[in-house]
Amino acid sequence: MSAARWLAHQGRQVGTLAGLVLLSGLLSILSPHFLSVSNLLNVLEQTAINAVIAVGMTFVIVSGGIDLSVGSIVAFSGVLLASALQAGLPVPLAVAAGLAAGALCGLLNGLLVTRGRLPPFIATLGMMSVARGMALVFTEGRPVSGFEAGFRSLATGRVLGVPTPVLAAALVYVAAHLLLTRTRFGRYVYAIGGNEEATRLSGVAVRFHKTMVYVLCGATSAIAAVLLTARLNSAQPIAGIMYELDAIAATVIGGTSLLGGSGSLGGTLVGALIMGVLRNGLNLLGVSSFLQQIVIGVVIIVAVLVDSMLKRPGR
Amino acid sequence: MKIQRLDAKVALVAALALSGCTKPASEPGAAAKPRVALVLKTLNNPFFIDMQKGAKEAAEKLGVELVVQAAEREVDVDKQMQIIENLIQTGVGALCITPSGSREVVPAIAKANAAKIPVVIVDTRVDPKAAAEAGIKLDGFVGSDNYEGGKVAGEHLVQVTGGKANVGLLEGIPGHETGDSRLKGFHDALKGAPGVKVVASQTANWERDQGFSVFQNMLQAHPEIDALFACSDMMALGAVEAIAAAGRTGKIRVIGFDAVDDARKAILAGTVLASVAQFPSEMGRLAVEDAVALIRGGKPPADRKVRIELVTKATLESR
Repeated sequence: MSAARWLAHQGRQVGTLAGLVLLSGLLSILSPHFLSVSNLLNVLEQTAINAVIAVGMTFVIVSGGIDLSVGSIVAFSGVLLASALQAGLPVPLAVAAGLAAGALCGLLNGLLVTRGRLPPFIATLGMMSVARGMALVFTEGRPVSGFEAGFRSLATGRVLGVPTPVLAAALVYVAAHLLLTRTRFGRYVYAIGGNEEATRLSGVAVRFHKTMVYVLCGATSAIAAVLLTARLNSAQPIAGIMYELDAIAATVIGGTSLLGGSGSLGGTLVGALIMGVLRNGLNLLGVSSFLQQIVIGVVIIVAVLVDSMLKRPGR
Repeated sequence: MKIQRLDAKVALVAALALSGCTKPASEPGAAAKPRVALVLKTLNNPFFIDMQKGAKEAAEKLGVELVVQAAEREVDVDKQMQIIENLIQTGVGALCITPSGSREVVPAIAKANAAKIPVVIVDTRVDPKAAAEAGIKLDGFVGSDNYEGGKVAGEHLVQVTGGKANVGLLEGIPGHETGDSRLKGFHDALKGAPGVKVVASQTANWERDQGFSVFQNMLQAHPEIDALFACSDMMALGAVEAIAAAGRTGKIRVIGFDAVDDARKAILAGTVLASVAQFPSEMGRLAVEDAVALIRGGKPPADRKVRIELVTKATLESR
């Protein structure tokens, strides 16, 4: 990133954060229920799932791709994990099976994009349908529910008062942030998104790194599936419908460009929080669910509009 | 320059947040009025809109404030849980819930229990096993007997076909108590009529457009089908279009469920034979009445059955 772009990006992040703070301020004035510890923990807990999916989505979008299959992967790895639990597998093994299923779907996405040379939109659109279908076939359309307390505590537990899904999401963010900013892999992801051909010519194994990005995205979707399944005490084959759009929205509100090459996980986290806070606040205020959709749509558009205004040269 | 643009963004978000809050529901002043929340599966289905109507009328009559919320998609169980969590935060007096998932709703109810907010379940029953395992407490149920409704539909079909028919079924989403019970009731009604055979049974996920395409495919695979039972009118009405497209209107007897306005029109027009009527506005009314009774320390009946009725051309014309 050039110095000017870096500066623009920092400005963008401050702007998004300011948006979140302002939104929260407004909501605490409008609703006496918003600014309480229990409600804020609530918001964090409700945001955790989308925020975790958005981590993988950020990697994919920074690399210049898109992943439409995340919602279906949530469903597929969820029902797999749930069936493994019901078959009596110990929790760590069942969770590992779920994560492996997600990563495998991601691997397939990655290979289709890099080896099959399919546009990411098409490859993951196909996977969106395949993974959903596999979840339905696997369960015959029925939810798989009722798990032991040990597994449920992954979503219902609290450590020092903080709900476990929030802690899990925080861990994912810290690890992913280090991966994206402090490792060679992370730098290559930016480089591939910025200029794939130049990156390839400078000797980077572009295909390998790109494939890994999709594996990572499949894996974070599977982590979200673990949290969702534990939260609802049930895994549904129809879970996660349209989750891809929420994850893309969080990423884009957070300032990651759909063109690839720029973006940050800090931004994505704030983006996911803006969506979570907005939904929570509109619920608290009793705003009709139809109006809520309009408001959320407008927020997405405004965030990207501001982004493009910032980037427009010569103004 | 940059600062200005940031300001502009912040102002936009602010304006937006404000515009979204046209009606802050309960602020000081309204505090004395008890608040009842009605959490619906969806608000884009006439059935639930009727339920909302009945609930609103009851709330006005009883002088309580009613908050109605629903997820964007009927099947979005996590969004419904979020809505319930958020309503608990606002300290509502009582919750009336139509569960998006019979089992998936249980953790949310546990949270309401913990907050000591009474819960009345409406229309779709909570899975008794999941409820027992979680040790949750329900303060009431208001709804029709879906099993009985399915049975009434099946018996009517046996009667009008003289005990001889090839039936296609359109199921609801598997795992939903409502659809599963209707289907079970229908199947049980056919037990005494070996001439009535179910030749195909598939889900159309409660959707009108899927009712069209699924039944169209069913007719391709089983041209011998001469009767259809759909677990909801939405799916039945989709199928009616598929029947028309196949040029077989009048040759296939269609029975739906819910007796929504469009279905009543179709019954009068002769494209649908019958539909099982439930009374969602009555469910809404009773749910709010029970909720208010609970808030005021009363003890409403634990299980309220709302009547069902088979709607046919004859019953509509006799009115």
